[in-house]
Amino acid sequence: MAMLDEKIVSQLKELFKGLDKEVNLKFFTQELECAFCKDTHNLLQEVAASSDKIKLEVFDFQKDKEVAEQYKIDKIPALVVMDEKDRGIRFFGIPSGYEFTSLIESIKLVSTGKLQLKESTKDFLNTVKKPVHLQVFVTPTCPYCPPAVVLAHQMAYYSEYIRADMVEASEFNTLSIKYNVQGVPRTVVNETEFLEGAAPEEYLIEKIKAFL
Amino acid sequence: MFEFSLNLSQEIDKNQIFDLIIVGGGPAGLTAGLYAARYKLNVLMIEKSFISGGQLTGIDTIENYPGFAEPVLGSKLAQNMAEQAKSFGLKSINAFVDSLDLQKDIKEVKVGNDIYKAKTILITTGTSSGKLGIKHEDEYVGKGISYCATCDGPMFPDKKVLVIGGGNNAVKEALFIAKYAKEVIIIHSGEKLNAAVSNIDKLKDEQKIKVLLNSSVKAIDFSDLKNKTFEIENSSNNKVETITADGMFIFVGTTPNTSLVEGQLELEKGYIKTDCSLQTNISGVFAAGDVIVKELRQVATAVGDGALVAYKINKYLSNL
Repeated sequence: MAMLDEKIVSQLKELFKGLDKEVNLKFFTQELECAFCKDTHNLLQEVAASSDKIKLEVFDFQKDKEVAEQYKIDKIPALVVMDEKDRGIRFFGIPSGYEFTSLIESIKLVSTGKLQLKESTKDFLNTVKKPVHLQVFVTPTCPYCPPAVVLAHQMAYYSEYIRADMVEASEFNTLSIKYNVQGVPRTVVNETEFLEGAAPEEYLIEKIKAFL
Repeated sequence: MFEFSLNLSQEIDKNQIFDLIIVGGGPAGLTAGLYAARYKLNVLMIEKSFISGGQLTGIDTIENYPGFAEPVLGSKLAQNMAEQAKSFGLKSINAFVDSLDLQKDIKEVKVGNDIYKAKTILITTGTSSGKLGIKHEDEYVGKGISYCATCDGPMFPDKKVLVIGGGNNAVKEALFIAKYAKEVIIIHSGEKLNAAVSNIDKLKDEQKIKVLLNSSVKAIDFSDLKNKTFEIENSSNNKVETITADGMFIFVGTTPNTSLVEGQLELEKGYIKTDCSLQTNISGVFAAGDVIVKELRQVATAVGDGALVAYKINKYLSNL
């Protein structure tokens, strides 16, 4: 049975007409012991089938260990959304519910390069010269989560020093416990700084500043 | 098993002057958008979340919105409203509004690097969850304190959770959280719950939920995140009991989202004052839905406001 209903598929086809560059979806999966890998794979196949500008590549988390390491993939299901270059955009867990919007936003971003970041944010990001890892914990039923994910992904797209992950909190429960995630969205900055809620750009900048 | 929600910003020509810009995409804004689009007004809605529907998107189910014999998912109702409005030509973007300049004839809405202009503005920014006002409340939001059950309920599997409040929201959200948690205690300051009888009746079938009446949370101690304690005072005997729980969801009242218009629009107890046309103290600036001074804040009343205000805005524009 199809994951996406006909209405969403036709919306996607219409929307993807506006895509510019080719988008590469690198998907990391394995057959066993991964509750959401198969569903995520099916979902991505349907998304990729909606445009000839979207290419899906599938990697086995175990067998293609070197590729996984290259893209810093340490858990599955995992997705890298990129063009010819890795832009630091990652999804860990199935981007379902409200997070489906985040997935489609990331495809649009990578293909068109159109950013919504404020000029002051870009000025700040130009000063970032050290690696920054943003992990945005979400649940699919959280309407406030996509803005936090999209902001992190936009920052990653703009700055080669930033890597931004969407992490589905209930799928990666051990990680949620590790970072004490009891509410979403929660953005973890370089393991030790935390931001609650879908906050404006300036709030996330303040957290990143702690590492510069 | 899986739901997929898609709601993307549209490409908008920023150099045009809109007939109407709606700030806030809840039921009032979406209804006004639907009506305004059907009046063939050039209308743009700006919603801070990526998902239109306002508070509807964070509610599990709605049972008192006419037209649905079975309870309808808040997210589904929101999505339907948004799709209906867009099908008639409502344009929308998902963005934080930084500021509003409402004084001139042509009103300006600043969004990031862009300025959008319109002949009229409609404020439908709604309300946010009210706070308890106890010490450390803000500090522990997301670390055990939450105002959104659909967002954070799944984070408490097999946990013990307190739900504060006695209205419909508190009772319905307690029932939602009980799908995940092993124990839910509703704590309400009144002698009896204020929720609709139909909602209260459902509590009888849910063994996981207990209700403490005449009780309120006086203090919290989350210094040990694995052993969070809550001081609960019983107003009928003045006894204070300390209980442990993993989290607390707060559903007590609402706070109007008026920070964008403070100093520009006349407010009453924080809510926007409007006349019978839902116009504010500034000509061409209207407000509707939960954010205005009114007696009953429901999806149905927000929708009614939205229809009326679009009609009044259309009339206002035709007289310009």
